[in-house]
Amino acid sequence: MKRWLLNIAAALLALLFVFPLVWMLLVSLKPDGTTVYSLSDWVDWSGLNADNYAKVIRDSQILRWTWNSVVIGVLTTVIAVLFSSLAAFAFSKLPFRTRGLFFVLIASGLLIPTEAILIPLYETALHLKLIDNIWAIILPGLTNPIGILLLKQFMDGVPRDYLEAAQIDGSRSFGLWWRVCLPLTRSAMISVGIFYFILSWNNFLWPYLSITSAENMILSAGLPTFLSNNTMSLNLIMAASAIAAIPTIIVFVLLQRHIVQGVSMSGVKG
Amino acid sequence: METQITARKAAAAPRREPLRLRTEFRAIMYLMPFLIPFAVFYLWPVYRGIWMSLHVWGIRGMEKYVGAANYEKIFNNPDFYLYLWHSFYFVLLCTPTVIVLGLILALIINQRILFRTAIRSAFFLPYVLSVSVISFIWLHLFDAKNGPVNALLGLLGAGHPNWLTDRGLVWWAITIVTDWWTVGFVMVLFLAGLQEIPPDHYEAAKIDGAGAWQRFRHITMPGLSSVMKIQIFYQVIGSLKLFGQVQIMTGGGPGDSTNTMIRYIYVTGFKKDMFGLASAQSIVFCVIMLMIAAIQFKLTDRKDG
Repeated sequence: MKRWLLNIAAALLALLFVFPLVWMLLVSLKPDGTTVYSLSDWVDWSGLNADNYAKVIRDSQILRWTWNSVVIGVLTTVIAVLFSSLAAFAFSKLPFRTRGLFFVLIASGLLIPTEAILIPLYETALHLKLIDNIWAIILPGLTNPIGILLLKQFMDGVPRDYLEAAQIDGSRSFGLWWRVCLPLTRSAMISVGIFYFILSWNNFLWPYLSITSAENMILSAGLPTFLSNNTMSLNLIMAASAIAAIPTIIVFVLLQRHIVQGVSMSGVKG
Repeated sequence: METQITARKAAAAPRREPLRLRTEFRAIMYLMPFLIPFAVFYLWPVYRGIWMSLHVWGIRGMEKYVGAANYEKIFNNPDFYLYLWHSFYFVLLCTPTVIVLGLILALIINQRILFRTAIRSAFFLPYVLSVSVISFIWLHLFDAKNGPVNALLGLLGAGHPNWLTDRGLVWWAITIVTDWWTVGFVMVLFLAGLQEIPPDHYEAAKIDGAGAWQRFRHITMPGLSSVMKIQIFYQVIGSLKLFGQVQIMTGGGPGDSTNTMIRYIYVTGFKKDMFGLASAQSIVFCVIMLMIAAIQFKLTDRKDG
C-alpha cells in the first residue's frame, strides 16, 4: 500500500473539512463589506481586524446569549450527571424488587424524541409559567436516560468487596455512592458530562420555541434572529457565528479524549 | 461514636446479606431526582399529547373535544404525504452518504498516518458546532453569486448553480451540510468498532494471501456489523428529525420543497395556532418512527439468528 498517497489523501480531506471554519474566520476578520471570493481575497490579509467582533458585541445581545448558554449548559450538565449517577447507583447496587419495571420505564425515554412531544411540552411549560425562563431549557434537559444507562455499566464494574469494606467502615448507602461509586466512575461521568454539555450548548429547536425575549435566549437559538435583520453584513454574521463556535472548539480541543470516549460509549454500548 | 458503630458492624458482619439495602423505598428515593423531571417533562407530555390530539386546541387552551377528527384531517391532507415523503427522501440521501463517508474516514484514521490525532479532530470538529452556526456558514458557502462553492466550481469550468433555490439541488445542499456536520460522530463509532477487531485476523488472512479488498470484505465488514446496525438505526431516526438546517437555510423553500414533518408540526402548532392538530401530527409521525425502528430491529435481528 502506498502510504504517502494515503497521507496526502488524509491531509487533503482534513483541509476540506476545516475549510468552512477557516472561511468563517477569514470573512469575520475582513473589513465590513468586503467579500472573500477570488483567490486574491484569500491571500489579501492587509485589512484583517477584529472590528466586526466589537460591532456584533456592541449591537446585539450576543454576550448575554453566550452567558446564558454557559449557565444553562453547566447547570444542566452538573444536575443531570448527578441525578443520573444516583439512579445508576440504585439500578446497579441496590437490589430492589421493582427495579426491572423502573428500568424499562426510564429506558422508554429513548423511544420518543423531544421533537415528537414539542406541543404538549410547550403547554406544560406554559402552565408551569416557565416560558421565557431559562429553567424551561434546563429542566427538560434533565430527562435524558442515556447517562443512567452508561453510568450503570460503569458502576456494575465497581467490585462488591469495595462496597462491603466501606460499609464495614460505617458508610450507609448514600456514603457508598458518594465515597465509593462516584470517585470510581469519575472518568465515565466526565465523558457523559461533556456529551451533555455539547447537547445543551447546541440544543436548537426547544430553546428556539420556549424563549421569546432576546435577553433570555441562548446562542444557538439567538443567532438565527440575525437573519431577519437585513442590515447585517456577511462579515458581521460570520463574526457572530465565530463567537458561538469558538468556545465549543476550545472545549473540544482541550477535552477531545473525553469527548471521543463519550461519543463512542454512547454508540457502542447505548 | 464512629468506632463504636464500626466495631458493632464488624462484629455483626452478616455474611449473606452484606449490603442490607433491600428496601424498595430507599432505592426509589435514589431514582426520584431523575424521575420527577422525567415524569413532568417527558411522561406527562407524552400522555398530554395524546389527549390534546383529540381536541381543537389553541394557545388559549382547549376549545372542544373532536375525537378522531384531527387524525382524519391529517390523512385527508395531501401536504402530509408530501412532507412525509420529504422526510423520507432526506433519509434516503443522508443515511447512505454519511455512513459510507464515515466508514472511509474511520478506515483512513485507523491507519498509521502522519498527524493522526489532528486529522481525526478535523473530521470530528464540525460535530461540536450548533446547527445555527453550521447553517450560517453553509448558507454563505452555497451563495450563488459570491459563495466559495461556486467559485470552486467556476475554476473547474462548471456553472453557477443556485444551490438553495433550485429544487433539484437544494436537497443535495442540505445533505452535504449535514454530512459534513455529523460524519465525525459516525467516524468515531466506526473507529471504536475497528479497534475491537483482533489484529491477528488480518495477519492470518495476509498469510493466506488475501488481498486488501478481501480482507475488508471478509474481516472488516463482518467485524463492524453490529456497529453498522446501530449507525443505520441512529442515522435513519436522526434524519427523520431534520428541522434546524431547513428552518435556517431554506425556510422550507424553494416553495415547499424542503418542508419536513417536524417543520410541518412546528408550523401547524406555533404559526397557525392549531395545537390539537399539531399534537395529532406528532403522534402519527412518532408512530411511523417507532414502526421504522421496530422494522429495522426485526430485520437486523433476523440476520443474526
